[in-house]
Amino acid sequence: MTTKIKLKKPEVLAPAGTLEKLKTAIHYGADAVYIGGNAYGLRSRAGNFSYEEMTDGVNFAKKHQAKVYVAANMVTHEEDAEGAGEFFRKIRDIGIDAVIVSDPALMEICMMDAPGLPVHLSTQASATNYETLNFWHSEGLERVVLAREVSMEEIKQIRQNTDVEIETFIHGAMCISYSGRCTLSNHMSARDANRGGCSQSCRWKYELFEIPEVGERKSLLAGDPEEAFSMSAVDMSMIHHIPDLVRNGVDSLKIEGRMKSIHYVSTVSNVYSRAVNAFCEDPDNYTFNQEWEDELWKVAQRELATGFYYGVPTEDQQLFGKRRKIPGYTFIGQVLDYDEKSGIATIEQRNSFGIGDEVEFYGPGFRHHTQMIDVLWDEKGEEIERARHPLMTVKMKVECPVKPHDMMRKRK
Amino acid sequence: MIEIKATAESVEQAKDLLDVGVDTLYVGNEAFGLRLPTSFSLKELKEIAEIAHKDGKKVCVAVNALMHNEHIEIIIPYLKKLHEFKVDKITVGDPGVIHLLKKEELDLPFIYDAQTIVTSARQVNFWAKRGAVGAVLSRELTFIELKQMREQVKIPIEVLVYGATCIHHSKRPLAENYFNFTNQAESVSRERGLFLAESKKLGTHYSVYEDAQGTHIFATDDINLGLYLNDLAEAELTSWKLDGIYTRGKDFVEIVKLFVEAKNIINSRNWSEQFAEDFNKKVCKLHPQKRTLNEGFFLKHPSEVQ
Repeated sequence: MTTKIKLKKPEVLAPAGTLEKLKTAIHYGADAVYIGGNAYGLRSRAGNFSYEEMTDGVNFAKKHQAKVYVAANMVTHEEDAEGAGEFFRKIRDIGIDAVIVSDPALMEICMMDAPGLPVHLSTQASATNYETLNFWHSEGLERVVLAREVSMEEIKQIRQNTDVEIETFIHGAMCISYSGRCTLSNHMSARDANRGGCSQSCRWKYELFEIPEVGERKSLLAGDPEEAFSMSAVDMSMIHHIPDLVRNGVDSLKIEGRMKSIHYVSTVSNVYSRAVNAFCEDPDNYTFNQEWEDELWKVAQRELATGFYYGVPTEDQQLFGKRRKIPGYTFIGQVLDYDEKSGIATIEQRNSFGIGDEVEFYGPGFRHHTQMIDVLWDEKGEEIERARHPLMTVKMKVECPVKPHDMMRKRK
Repeated sequence: MIEIKATAESVEQAKDLLDVGVDTLYVGNEAFGLRLPTSFSLKELKEIAEIAHKDGKKVCVAVNALMHNEHIEIIIPYLKKLHEFKVDKITVGDPGVIHLLKKEELDLPFIYDAQTIVTSARQVNFWAKRGAVGAVLSRELTFIELKQMREQVKIPIEVLVYGATCIHHSKRPLAENYFNFTNQAESVSRERGLFLAESKKLGTHYSVYEDAQGTHIFATDDINLGLYLNDLAEAELTSWKLDGIYTRGKDFVEIVKLFVEAKNIINSRNWSEQFAEDFNKKVCKLHPQKRTLNEGFFLKHPSEVQ
């Protein structure tokens, strides 16, 4: 006998550094995206949104029943918060669904000056227990993004002891410290980690010594070849553990990476939305699909692991030793149009490709197929060997139907 | 009123610190407090509170860790004990603890201490409205910023005038992980004296150790604001902490004594450049030889670090 458990389907929340990435993420199944405004965010170098772009993005998202959050997660110094009230009012009026904040000064300004704009606590505030969530709930926050140091067992307890929404990271790069509790970058590069300047000093190579009672310091580096001391974390992936996340009542599953490419955002959103849908539609008969993982490896930049969810990370979750070469894929084009009758696809070039290449098409809803390129035409209909020019429009024959917004990649 | 707050590494040292004129002893247990020279038992904390109070001095207990559920489940009896010992203040860095204090109606004044993320007057005042009686500031603030903040804060803000500065706190066992990877059986405790150096700047030396709270990394130079104490006092930044985590025993007591003398000199308006220089020389001499001192971010212009 199988019993249907009623499970609340969590949202898949994707990063969107640009308007194009926002649209892509939503096309590829993200239920919500988070973006940066032109101030108060931690990704000063991630293409941030102007108010016009935000308006476009919000309109697009609403049409697709998706939500847009704005990350304003910097830790402000004196004067940094100037103008924040107006900023929050503007984005509220544009229709932004929530703002992600870690600094209580910004939080207070937002609540006073832009009432009605929901506030989420950023992971930068390191919320690690249920009473902390209860505190922020009592302050009027709708959601708390958990610290990456929280285990699955702790999430379960947190869910049982709080009513505030829980968001947690499921994929992407991680701080190796408690987020916000690291100023290596301030001290080593004169760049403020908590104001968007992080120079990722944790990923550098270091010497390791002991302080001797007398005499010269002694190096403790070892290994053959000698291994430098480093604090570089592998990336997170929770693709194998979607059921745990859903069953423990997580409301939002967050993908890291506002700096990441359209290729990355589309692929990762596609995989997770597929997996979450598969589980929530039929939890009893859910099985893991290896293709999901294979797909994630195509855009992976580092090894993948589960962070703190199932135990304190050992050396296996740090980038030590000779690194395995991850077979990478290059994003080479995007489908603009497809003619069913002739089987001809119109493609916008994103990277050079040409005759003889084996390419892969993928699209929303986890559609995939490979294709050999036999013939290519340019805009004038003339045959060409390669699509060399950035953003040029080309036509090619494809064996399986494709759709606008499908992407094309090839193995590096 | 200048307040001198100093860590204590033993009951004996606590007594010595009181003898040389410290105003507040800063102590705690490692289950709930971060980066303490010693983890004191409840019995010892009680004793320290008693001897301090007998001297008319105060005790502040560190409850400033990032708490996980397991800590939250056992912290109430601990807080009640501290209340029973008439501990004057605690430091708190996790809002969950503030929530519990209120829920349990525990009258235990707290200083907000989330270190790296306390960087503006408005934040400090946010916590003041939630009951904080003081705030520990990020060590990455400049004097210019400190002065701006001072004009606007509603509660005292504490400045580290002497001691090591933590610049990285990870829950991961980072040193142990390295030793495991390289097949070395090495201790990772603070007593081991491990430090990192940037491969490109070999003169740097970032102390690192692990404890129950994870891995802690410290700035290459310890802080010493000895030369600027009068400036601090004139700016009404008068809550001074001295941290003895890497300066042990009698040397630390002697350093605290020097700061108490400096405080008295300032109070009697006898501060002079000559005094400052002599005082500073003495501090440097007592400082551990293998460690270096400077003024951290104090003299920087805010625009230098963005």
